Amino acid sequence: MSDASHIKPRAKTAPMSRGARIVDVLKRDWQLYVMLLPTIIWLLLFLYKPMYGLQIAFKDYSVFRGIANSPWVGFEHFETLFNNDQFIRAIRNTVVISFWSLLIGFPVPILLALLFNEVLNQKFKKTTQTIVYLPHFISSVIIAGIVIAAFAPSAGIVNTAIRALGGEAIYFLTKPEWFRPIFIGTGIWQEAGFQSIVYLAAIAGVSPTLYESAVVDGASRWQMMWKITIPSILPTIIIMLIIRIGNILEVSFEMIILLYQPATYETADVVNTFIYRQGLQGGQYDLAAAAGLFNAVMAFTLVMAANALSKRYSRTSLW
Amino acid sequence: MSGVQLEGIIKRYGAVQVVHGVDLNVAEKEFVVLVGPSGCGKSTTLRMIAGLEEISDGEVTIDGRMVNRVAPKDRDVAMVFQNYALYPHLNVADNIAFGLRIRRESKEVIASSIDEVAGILGLTDYLDRRPADLSGGQRQRVAMGRAIVRRPKVFLFDEPLSNLDAKLRTQMRAEIKRLHNRLGVTSIYVTHDQVEAMTLADRIVVMHDGRIEQVGSPMELFMNPVNTFVASFLGSPPMNQVTAKVEKVGSDFVGVFAGNRLPLARLGDLEARVGQDVVVGIRPEYVTPATDGVKDQVRIELDLVETLGSEALLHAMLANAPFVIKADTTSAASKLSDVTGFTIAPELIRVFDGETGLALAGQDRPV
Repeated sequence: MSDASHIKPRAKTAPMSRGARIVDVLKRDWQLYVMLLPTIIWLLLFLYKPMYGLQIAFKDYSVFRGIANSPWVGFEHFETLFNNDQFIRAIRNTVVISFWSLLIGFPVPILLALLFNEVLNQKFKKTTQTIVYLPHFISSVIIAGIVIAAFAPSAGIVNTAIRALGGEAIYFLTKPEWFRPIFIGTGIWQEAGFQSIVYLAAIAGVSPTLYESAVVDGASRWQMMWKITIPSILPTIIIMLIIRIGNILEVSFEMIILLYQPATYETADVVNTFIYRQGLQGGQYDLAAAAGLFNAVMAFTLVMAANALSKRYSRTSLW
Repeated sequence: MSGVQLEGIIKRYGAVQVVHGVDLNVAEKEFVVLVGPSGCGKSTTLRMIAGLEEISDGEVTIDGRMVNRVAPKDRDVAMVFQNYALYPHLNVADNIAFGLRIRRESKEVIASSIDEVAGILGLTDYLDRRPADLSGGQRQRVAMGRAIVRRPKVFLFDEPLSNLDAKLRTQMRAEIKRLHNRLGVTSIYVTHDQVEAMTLADRIVVMHDGRIEQVGSPMELFMNPVNTFVASFLGSPPMNQVTAKVEKVGSDFVGVFAGNRLPLARLGDLEARVGQDVVVGIRPEYVTPATDGVKDQVRIELDLVETLGSEALLHAMLANAPFVIKADTTSAASKLSDVTGFTIAPELIRVFDGETGLALAGQDRPV
């Protein structure tokens, strides 16, 4: 017979408070939090601290009086903006360029990834991948230089070809109707290859047995692409689409600045270049801040809406 | 007839040969299990039958037609994979119908086939669910449904139960057997689990290092293994193997090891091995545990008693090698820890050549 008299009754321990739990976790994984620290500092310094300055969108800001001492003016700058034809034009251009970039530019990396996935010759695959990734690593200034040179009226390769075919040279970069196709095409050329890496990684994650099973069932390569590969990478496509929609109003500012000129403002001037001209060149920081805030609120609304729609209809969402 | 014949099948990856001339004849409606340790070439052989691996040499014939150069879809086989290979974006009904849609069957045929298969496999209530919303057993049923719905000539199973827990595996094993009995389709099943092989197979093919070691019914292989590899692979726990020197006493033979003298059957092949080493194979189930006082017992050093309920495993050392006895607990439960040795009838001992590991001739027991 065992004697249980030596067994002490279990002491009742009070539940840990939330603060104590946090301290406990910090102590346990302190190395991870130390590694996280630089990113948090960067976020606070460069993304959160500048938000303090957003209030100048509602103030009659003066550099000499500073942010705190400038008087409040309510929504006056927003009224000014929406009564300004240039701002309305900039919004329209931003939306049009973004829409076409999304419509044409978004599927291109997916198509590239699908094509690369079908290439059986590894040497050819690697060579073509390197070629399409390369423009991403070239500075925007050089890319713009290449584009300007290619579309130059006298010695540009495009106009040389047009003349060789019996046509007349076109001053592409001074014609508003040509700006958007050139800008969108340049963006695709520069980024599509690099963006395809995400989809290639997603394709690599598809279980090979799904394809083997389909092969036994009699599926062709084309059917496997449509019925297995694309549905399998759909969550990735949706996530990328949500991110892209979030950035829809962030049209490549650098490239526009490098390629546009007053003759093409009609189709090229976007919200960001408007902010740049008003804020930095015109010194109207408060008006530019109002335009920037409008841009950010719109982007936030779009990304929230895209996420909610995706969550509802495809069970995939960013958060 | 929709049997499968393999003649001299070889598989090479570059200079490395992994399957060395496999010959096998699977009869129509037969359930054949390829079993062996990891890397023995069983899955590669199955994949060559399916057409997922190119055959380096030899011939595969399905239903009387050589299929070496025939695309997998035209071989009329269906395969069930270890990880189910279900399409995560499709629901159960669409997963089952995938092969039929690829083959452009009519909507009516597809709908009736789904209903029939779902009924057979008990999936009727889950047709709208996606694989992520199913349990492991249900996923495995869907995978089988995909195979059944095509009404193939041959079913190929590649370790289909490996991802399931022990309880579910037992349940699904029985379901596969019932399904085979019901459908009567020629089936080739790959597993490394000898219990699956024993319970499912009409015939078992034991493979080792890319070669077939033995082909036969489960009981044939269990009772009459042709070599020490098959003896050690089939049976749970596996056959004990002890090296012993053969001595002749009058017209009888004994195996001598670690101070013990074990009477052996009168085999003609033992005559030539007197004075030489042989491997004595003793099934844990065939021995009778003995306590002090029992005459002519082989002495063991009992190490551990594992009670399994109606039976127990006695782990011991014999001649510096592990030795396991399976004992009945209902009659002698209280005495198991007192076991000092065992006795066994000579005809229940399997004797193998000491060098080649091959079973000596003339000792096969009727199955």
